[in-house]
Amino acid sequence: MATLVPNIILNAAILGVIYGFLGLSLTIVYGGMRIANLAHGDIVVAGSFITYALTAKFGYSPIAALPVAFTYLSVLGYGLYRIAGKRLQNSREPELASFLFFYGVSLMISASLLFVFDADARAISFQFRPLSFQFLGLRVPHARLVAAGVALALVPVIFWALYQTIYGKALRGAIMNRDALRIVGIDIDRLSLFAFSISFGLAGMTGVLIALVFPAFSPFSGMDYTILGFVVIVLGGLGSPLGALAGGMVFALTEQLTTLYLGQSTGLIAGFLVLVAVIVVRPAGLMGQVEWRA
Amino acid sequence: MTELSSDNVKAVVAEFCDVSAAYFGDIHVLRNLSLVFRSGTVTGIIGPNGAGKSTVLKTFMGALKPRSGDIRLYGKSLAGVPNHVLALMGVAYVPQNRSLFLGLSVEDNLLLGCWPIRHDRVRTRRILDRTLTEFPMLGAARRNLAGSLSGGQRRFLEIARALLLDPKIILLDEPTAMIAPKFAADVYEKISALAAEGLAVVLVDQNIKPCIEVSNYIYVLELGQKTTEGTADFLQSDDKMREEIGRWLEVSGG
Repeated sequence: MATLVPNIILNAAILGVIYGFLGLSLTIVYGGMRIANLAHGDIVVAGSFITYALTAKFGYSPIAALPVAFTYLSVLGYGLYRIAGKRLQNSREPELASFLFFYGVSLMISASLLFVFDADARAISFQFRPLSFQFLGLRVPHARLVAAGVALALVPVIFWALYQTIYGKALRGAIMNRDALRIVGIDIDRLSLFAFSISFGLAGMTGVLIALVFPAFSPFSGMDYTILGFVVIVLGGLGSPLGALAGGMVFALTEQLTTLYLGQSTGLIAGFLVLVAVIVVRPAGLMGQVEWRA
Repeated sequence: MTELSSDNVKAVVAEFCDVSAAYFGDIHVLRNLSLVFRSGTVTGIIGPNGAGKSTVLKTFMGALKPRSGDIRLYGKSLAGVPNHVLALMGVAYVPQNRSLFLGLSVEDNLLLGCWPIRHDRVRTRRILDRTLTEFPMLGAARRNLAGSLSGGQRRFLEIARALLLDPKIILLDEPTAMIAPKFAADVYEKISALAAEGLAVVLVDQNIKPCIEVSNYIYVLELGQKTTEGTADFLQSDDKMREEIGRWLEVSGG
């Protein structure tokens, strides 16, 4: 138990960064575009399967899957927005319409994965050497360290883009006040197309990281990640990039610690209880600011 | 030459030609409306609640498509022009409801106002610096979130942002609604100053008295139709008009 707790906390921190990453890509589209992307988790799983294909079939390192997953899936996002995005946003109930549309997309993606890869759970076959590191008496799997390292390297880049560039500011502006974008001369359709492609690409990269962290994934895991993503962004505060990271961290810590003390099946329950508690105490989420939204 | 340039000052910047518009079906909110907005002129639009005053501005900005008639800018029809392009064409709009990004800093709100020229970083920087100097109140609060400003400060930030790209016409929808009287006086002063600089100012206002005082020309709307128009002096000398205005003031309580 003595080394178990620090180990669990370290693991939770690694998972937390990845959950946060998952929320980050979701919040860009949900917060700014008002599109509830129910297929988000399936994009993530598609990213995992791209990693599987590259490592198991072609023998590449999972790191090589990062740019591949980003490229393929952002192209998919681009295409989907081109086909449906504008119509969904202009519909009278953008949230409901996008909910249904992306539920369909979700089914299509998981069915396609099922068709190509069969129903068996898969794992990446690549092994980092050494398999794990000893450090301060803790054992850390190499793959998890790589995943956390990649996430930690990408998060500052994403935050820099969101907080320092005019495009990022416009995206955050879209979360706060969509109508005002038009007044200052921003083409909402082009901004949305851009955000959508980036969001899908980031979800694909999240899939690569998840393939590194979790032992197995199947075409049916998508919905779990979608729900996890929404929980994380509601927990952290809708539309708050920083909140997504905090939400991911809080959820992972709760889930892991509860699993340790009360057993596997209670982990998720505890995570959701924290969500309920946060909503009761701070309806805007940990870092949400209701009054910033018009 | 002097005569020519004084003619230019009052040139027609934009006009509504027989415009009708509707939200749903046949419920017309604007009926056969013809309006002219000239440079160097404050054009006031007044009328009772529900007269369609704000709708005029929204239709100008493309939020509502004219069912018939034409809106022209510099003599050219705006039909089919995407609404985000208007900012680049010299049309600035300060809507009645909040149009700021409250979670962004004052300076970032202004930066987004420079979106159409974002590739010219030098010019963007110059415009931002100029604006922050011109509005010292905003300059002092440049790093603060727009959400931390008072109502009056927010209104000035909106106006400052609308002016960044040197518009030829600015549409103001109830610019003094819900702000402190001290700021309201400043806003009217700014409006006069803008017209003096040659801008076409279109002012929709519930506060009829100050609106008539600041406007050079006034349109009176009722149920989406133009009922009267003329200079401020003309309207104030008209007994029937004074009576009308008194009636709205009772109804709207202002």
